[in-house]
Amino acid sequence: MQEFWRNARALPGNVWRSTIRHGPLDTDLDRAEVMNQNFFLHILPVSVHRNTLRFSYSLGLGAIAFILFLILIGTGIILMFYYVPAVDQAYPRMKDLEFVVSNGKLLRNLHRWAAHGMVAVVFLHMCRVFYTGSFRPPREFNWVVGVVLFFLTLGLSFTGYLLPWDQLAFWAITVGTNIVAYLPGVGKQLRFLLLGGNEVGQEALIRFYVLHIAILPVLALIVLGVHFWRIRKDGGLSRPEEAESPLVSMTATPASRDPAGGSLQIFPADPRKTYGLMELVKGRTPMVDRGPEDTLTAWPHLVFRLFTLSLLTLVIFLIVSLFFDAPLKELANPNFPENPAKAPWYFLGLQELVSYSAFMGGVFIPTLTVVALMLIPYIDRGPAGTGVWFHSRRARKIALLSAILTTAVIWLLLFANMRTGGVRRFYPDSPQWLIDLLNPGTLTVLYLVVFFFIAGYLTDSLREASIGLFTGFLIGFTLFTVIGVFLRGPNWEFYWFWQSWPAP
Amino acid sequence: MNSLFYGQGCNVNRRHFLSKLGWTSFWTAVVGMVAGLARSMYPNVLYEPSRKYKVGYPADFARDVVTPLPGEKLFIYNDSKQGFYAISGICTHLGCVVSKTQEGFFCPCHGSRFDHSGKVKAGPAPRPLPWYRVSLALDGQLVVDAGEEVKPGTTLPI
Repeated sequence: MQEFWRNARALPGNVWRSTIRHGPLDTDLDRAEVMNQNFFLHILPVSVHRNTLRFSYSLGLGAIAFILFLILIGTGIILMFYYVPAVDQAYPRMKDLEFVVSNGKLLRNLHRWAAHGMVAVVFLHMCRVFYTGSFRPPREFNWVVGVVLFFLTLGLSFTGYLLPWDQLAFWAITVGTNIVAYLPGVGKQLRFLLLGGNEVGQEALIRFYVLHIAILPVLALIVLGVHFWRIRKDGGLSRPEEAESPLVSMTATPASRDPAGGSLQIFPADPRKTYGLMELVKGRTPMVDRGPEDTLTAWPHLVFRLFTLSLLTLVIFLIVSLFFDAPLKELANPNFPENPAKAPWYFLGLQELVSYSAFMGGVFIPTLTVVALMLIPYIDRGPAGTGVWFHSRRARKIALLSAILTTAVIWLLLFANMRTGGVRRFYPDSPQWLIDLLNPGTLTVLYLVVFFFIAGYLTDSLREASIGLFTGFLIGFTLFTVIGVFLRGPNWEFYWFWQSWPAP
Repeated sequence: MNSLFYGQGCNVNRRHFLSKLGWTSFWTAVVGMVAGLARSMYPNVLYEPSRKYKVGYPADFARDVVTPLPGEKLFIYNDSKQGFYAISGICTHLGCVVSKTQEGFFCPCHGSRFDHSGKVKAGPAPRPLPWYRVSLALDGQLVVDAGEEVKPGTTLPI
């Protein structure tokens, strides 16, 4: 029994050691060990490149998006305890959250604003990755995974705001599933499958509920896992080639940089394959013990940055949720849509396009956008400009020019359309394809394609042309969103900021 | 046997053949299972109200006046020359409910406009508002079948 007492005395210390598994983090070995031994930290590398830690490079957008996702899971799970996905209960439950449940209002606000925040941050993250050329080989696949995540985020938002079963929810499902019905061939069946019938009702609500709380979040988590795993396998965040090793660019001649050259390599750079500290990775990675000036241990440099960023994000969204309430319209009324019936801001660009042509705005242009976004890394593959914000001075100029031109083109088309009254004014029996073709939405897309090819031939630089195209897409999307949010009033008519809407 | 698997120009030996057979049956089974699961998502019974509406006696509808029926999302016309007809109140663009105006119909969601017969005058709607079959029930009431579209101009003369 002496062994029993001995082990009992040592129990606290042994439990502590088996749980924490490391001593004070005094040496780099300890700091490497903690990253290695901790399940939650081992998703991060042991050492990170200096450039990765530069806030002005990554803006922390990917991390913020992930933090918001975690906030959404946390708040969402608590909300699930109170929410009932039934048409006669959903709305009263929202009122319960607002007035009866302790902190229920805060919870719902946080969930809603974090969702809005996530859509915005994911979009900005995509812009960051594009403008720093971070989608270049070997990161093409991860870009595509990122595009999938962006659309999963949109899907989660859409299925989410349907659940309160207010006016917004009901008419958003109606409009959204009718857009699906425009898909050639399978559209009608897909709408039937989504709604669980022909009409928007109980079956539709429960289907969107399951999508929101089970299917889409699990998919998002899996794809998110792939996204993070690819970052590690692709050798961390992208960075400019010069940053690979400043010593190399200062001292090495081109000959010495050739791995097969056989010349003296004091600071060999960019071997195609190298050992990271933890694993075999492709591409260029921080080389442990070769370029110590370039990398820092992830603990504390990266971990503390992420921790601070998490706290900041949480605090900011908590403050917003304390002062601004999540919108909740009147109870769903299947007989009368609101006027104007507006989706949340991030879908109003699409709603504006849909108001010209349902097929173009709801099916063709979104599909084209997805395909074009996914093709970016397979078309624009050159090495120049990877890891730097914008590619060159000329690229900045082209981005600016594209922004101005796109703005001008959209305003011009919009006013031409409004002044003339569109195709049907001249040609009342016009076939639908002509209306699908000649409207501000389709013509803007056509303009962007023309711009891309003209810019490509004039500059003879694919990177610069694609920066111009992406900027045009960005500005166009933003502008249509602004028009949808601020400039559309009752009957989807145009009102300037300073014009008041007529009384109903 | 041998001639089947080791015949001229045929490089498939028994191992390859069995392997291919195995994988083919595996994937067939997977596809079948997924299809079966997907099929269960497709409802066989709908708990939706019938889209055949009894809307009232012909005498209830004033002559040459449009009667909106918001619950059924229908507009009933009692035309003194042509008779009764019913026009759908659901916009053909994206399914919002249209409202009656001086010129015809109007959709608040995306601004589609229709004339009195449901023909598209402006906006994004791709098709005219459908006309539905109007008939008389045995008890003398008008019945509108919102599941059966008829050609515009088809009326029920009274």
